[in-house]
Amino acid sequence: MSTAAIIIAIVSFALGALLALLTIPVLVWLERRVAGLIQDRLGPNRTNVAGFRLGGVVQSFADVVKLLLKEEYYPSHIKTGKWLFMLAPIITFATALLAFMAIPFADTLILDGESLRVQALPIDFGVFWYLAVSSIGVLGVIFGGWLSHNKYALLGAARAGSMVISYELPLGLSVLAFIITYDTVDFNAMVALQSGTFFGFLPAWGILLQPLASIILIVSLFAETNRNPFTVAEGESEIVAGFMTEYTAMKFAMYFMGEYVAMNTASAVIITMIFGGYNLPWVSTQLLAENFSIFASSIMIVMPLIVAILIRWMRKNNGVRPSVSTDGGRNFETKVLTIVMIGMTLLVEAILIYLIFVADNSLGNSIAIALFQVVVFVVKLMTFNIFFIIIRWTVPRFRYDQVQKLGWSYLLPLSLVNVFITAIIVIGVL
Amino acid sequence: MAHNVKIVARPSASFRDKLYLPAIADGLKVTFKHLFNNVNDSNAIDTLEYPEEQPTDVTQRYRGLHRLTHRADDSIACVACFMCSTACPSNCIFIEATQREDGKDEKMPKSFFIDTLECVFCGYCVEACPCDAIRMDTGIFSLTGNKREDFVMNKERLLSHKGAFGEEVSCARG
Repeated sequence: MSTAAIIIAIVSFALGALLALLTIPVLVWLERRVAGLIQDRLGPNRTNVAGFRLGGVVQSFADVVKLLLKEEYYPSHIKTGKWLFMLAPIITFATALLAFMAIPFADTLILDGESLRVQALPIDFGVFWYLAVSSIGVLGVIFGGWLSHNKYALLGAARAGSMVISYELPLGLSVLAFIITYDTVDFNAMVALQSGTFFGFLPAWGILLQPLASIILIVSLFAETNRNPFTVAEGESEIVAGFMTEYTAMKFAMYFMGEYVAMNTASAVIITMIFGGYNLPWVSTQLLAENFSIFASSIMIVMPLIVAILIRWMRKNNGVRPSVSTDGGRNFETKVLTIVMIGMTLLVEAILIYLIFVADNSLGNSIAIALFQVVVFVVKLMTFNIFFIIIRWTVPRFRYDQVQKLGWSYLLPLSLVNVFITAIIVIGVL
Repeated sequence: MAHNVKIVARPSASFRDKLYLPAIADGLKVTFKHLFNNVNDSNAIDTLEYPEEQPTDVTQRYRGLHRLTHRADDSIACVACFMCSTACPSNCIFIEATQREDGKDEKMPKSFFIDTLECVFCGYCVEACPCDAIRMDTGIFSLTGNKREDFVMNKERLLSHKGAFGEEVSCARG
């Protein structure tokens, strides 16, 4: 292994871990903030470190400290299976985290004839890895609910079990349709195929190639991640907190964070399989590499525009109404963040100018392209996470029998028909 | 029984409703509109940023913290008749009467305590007072303290509270 290979492996592993773990506090904050804004409230916006509140995201870190320092309460009525009771949240959390590791964040880098995957886990059977690992996550929910020796928790576990048999089949069949369409089980190859076009002009995104399978995939992944409208296992208005009724402090936090990691993972899988992954539509990695100077100069034009819009938005919204006596350092924060943003823009511009005019090496170009792809991936990921959150605050919860009916009577036949039609078209027509 | 059964047609039996996804899209339209408007201008949200921003809609009828009113010459209006402490449903008014020396009335309170931790802010004391000596028109809605004793108002503190709506002097003992 060359030095470059080791560096790329470490960087992509760090990127995977960061994207999975650092998004938890951001997502928890986003959830509360988006919920507030949808309901015409403000949401958490006050917690700050030395006047820096970053819109309130500091609140999540305060919450983590609170959960860490809470009393580790252990329900005394649980006599058997204590170790599994403790292990259950860890199963949910760890599987969601592991499933995220197969997602490619940028196209395979080719350095000196050596192709290096920008994936935390450099495997070429990512779809199978995701299906295998993420389905174990629900076992944590079932174990936790069963071993709590509590009727609400048991009901939650039973509901989680009924959910599994409802969504797993449509999920697998819709993924099968994608495997047939793309003819690969490698996430990276899927993204590469999606950067092409079909009918000459439409981007070959999964959602346009396979609209039905895409909808089934999204619905099943909503069910798999236990997000609304499929939060039947939790059902806080019916069965207290479902499977996590008996869990406190960090044990609860594991379930709580596991839910967000699973949501993040599901978003990553959805954008990788049906929304073009780390690529922009019509723009493949090869196209970027061949026309690097055009690509770099368009970034140099677009980035200041985006930053200008952001700064304008921040100056308008990171303040208080005139009737409020003190702004709590918001003006100072706006000033500092404006300087930081302009500085970062200038830095990026300088690097791009250097890459275009001074250094003429393909290494710098391909690293710049990879970084751009990571940025596109993160933007798409957060957009879809916000979609997950908006759905939660839009749609009421299904009853668990409705979920079963949806899975068995509608999604399963539809996905079966879809697989047959896809197979006939792929084998017979093409 | 059977002939009285009226079957109400479900209003949402159309194909569009059975698909369920268009309904979700409709819901998303509503929630996204709210989200977009509020992200665009978060200061337009009707949320009071409380400690910095104080409410401006405390009305005259609001039952705030109590006060003891004055006469026109700034002496106490209360005649220690015990009507308020008798009317009080939570027994939180403690009065000790004494002879009034300045000739304006016969009695006045030597001490007058209201335990606001016991008080239910029902306003019966204000209704019962024949001298308009106790009122709840201070507009004070938030009371904080570091220990229980901070919440027991004595006579001096009750006299120091100002009316928030212009009426300073007792109407009955002017």
